[in-house]
Amino acid sequence: MSLTQAQAPKAARARRLDPAPVLLGAVIFVVAWQALVWIGGYEPWLLPGPLVVGQRFVDAWLDGTIAPHATATLLEIVLGFTVGAGLALLVGMLLARSHFAERLLSPYLVAAQATPILAIAPLIALWFGTGLLSKVLICALIVFFPVAIATMVGIRSVDKRLVEMARAFRATRSQLVRQVEIPAALPAILGGMRVGVTLAVIGAIIGEWAGGERGLGVLINLARGSLFDTPLLFATLATIALIGIVLYLVVVAVERRMVGARG
Amino acid sequence: MSTRKEVTLSLVSRRPAGLFAAGLVAVLVAGLVAACGSGSTASPTVGAPTPLRVGLGYIPSVQFAQFYLADQAGYYREAGLEVTFENKSDPDLVTLVGQGVVDIGIADGTSLIPAVSQGIPVRYVATIYADFPSIVFAKASSGITGPADLKGRKLGIPGKYGSSWIMLQALLASVGLTPADLELVEFPKYGQDVAVREGVVDAATGFVNNEPVQLELSGEKVVVLTVDAITPLPGPGLITGEATLAGPKKAALKAFVAATLRAMKEIAADPLKGWDAAVAVVPELASDRETQLAVLNATVDAWQSSYTDANGWGAVDEGAWTESIDFMSGLPDSPVAKPVTVDQLVSKELLP
Repeated sequence: MSLTQAQAPKAARARRLDPAPVLLGAVIFVVAWQALVWIGGYEPWLLPGPLVVGQRFVDAWLDGTIAPHATATLLEIVLGFTVGAGLALLVGMLLARSHFAERLLSPYLVAAQATPILAIAPLIALWFGTGLLSKVLICALIVFFPVAIATMVGIRSVDKRLVEMARAFRATRSQLVRQVEIPAALPAILGGMRVGVTLAVIGAIIGEWAGGERGLGVLINLARGSLFDTPLLFATLATIALIGIVLYLVVVAVERRMVGARG
Repeated sequence: MSTRKEVTLSLVSRRPAGLFAAGLVAVLVAGLVAACGSGSTASPTVGAPTPLRVGLGYIPSVQFAQFYLADQAGYYREAGLEVTFENKSDPDLVTLVGQGVVDIGIADGTSLIPAVSQGIPVRYVATIYADFPSIVFAKASSGITGPADLKGRKLGIPGKYGSSWIMLQALLASVGLTPADLELVEFPKYGQDVAVREGVVDAATGFVNNEPVQLELSGEKVVVLTVDAITPLPGPGLITGEATLAGPKKAALKAFVAATLRAMKEIAADPLKGWDAAVAVVPELASDRETQLAVLNATVDAWQSSYTDANGWGAVDEGAWTESIDFMSGLPDSPVAKPVTVDQLVSKELLP
């Protein structure tokens, strides 16, 4: 992969890193949004314009309304993602190596993924309380499936000739896993993590809806159900979106660095 | 491997256009939905019944028996109304009524104060619960007899929001306490009744016509702490939008209020009428007749107070509203964004 990158024309690389399309898209989006509010004549409690939301976003960060909730949600996401992705790596490797394990566990994994987390979250809050633990578990649950499946597929897709070559050089089982299988499966695993990290954001919010004192999900409920503060609701949604985008880009950056270095 | 890398990079570089398109579609859809909603009040034609969309609480229940009876007994029809009931959560209902999508509905008075302070154009037009239904309850064996006894106790709440949170703060303030003087345990899915019954908490917030009723039916002696004599908070009542109130449906709304109050009086005189009407709408209620009938009786008790006895069913106590505004505005994390007056919140135009 690094070879591909090295061979790519400098102009193409510059185009990829050019921030202009991102800024242009943002400007068009904001202008269209504001135009809609002007044309429709909507009051801020119904559809606040971007200027109102922007002002509320800044105010809510400066006066400490959003910060403690955002910190709580971020902690839940990071812990939940770490636990979920870590377990998923182990289970994914087990599934890749053992068809018996795959047949044994797959129905339950698929069933767990198909069951709406929105329905499970109140039960988890009931069993484990409405503290950090239940949110971490909900995040971990939602992250688990995409990372486990990506790991399984990634390891099964490793070039058999690489494995045979490592064995020919008398690589131990541990060396085979650490130095051949995992590095070769990294693109797939990190692809699963990209999906997982955005799902972790959703998991944290759902966990907070099931109960809790802090978190952006709680702030959404407060803004909507108690304060009737629609601009604050939008500012909270913007914060959630920003957290999701930043975490996604972090995984992408890790992916570029790790996969690129190994290419 | 190289293919994977290219996909990665292309996602990063091309995503803004996709994000923009998705965001634009979302905003346009939201705008269209809003636009569709705000134009829903049609003028009634002579002779034809006036359609009214009526918002009730989240789940159909015996607590809405007066609306069911007025509908089934033909009081709405006699008044020239074609009523459609819709079940909505309180926050949704306040917004939809303000928007004019729902013509009239039942909502908490304590929700209305922050809603109007945010500019949502709604008015409280008739009192349904003359006594504030949100209360604190405990087993008599807990030794709790008044708000002062709550100090240091474990108290269950659904969360730090809504009418129960306002009520709790008013109750505690009356004896110089704050929520920090208690150990609060949150039950977001309203499991406070079980928590009190099982002794997980010493007391909990609830509704006068729900948890204490069920606890008493299980054979437990119950203590109920109410806020009415301390800070007369406005209970759930009928609300309508300012534009709807000023529009062509005003006479229909007035007729609706009168028909509903008529049904309330009939149920107060004979609760079984309300029971039959509720079972006709929610047949599942019949499977637990004793409990649901007790809930209805407690609901009927909450419809009446000394103020409504003196001023008539549905009467709106403006003095109590003023006290509530003052109290809620002075709370540490006040939900009242901007100053509001009683005139902005209440209208007596639809009362008989």
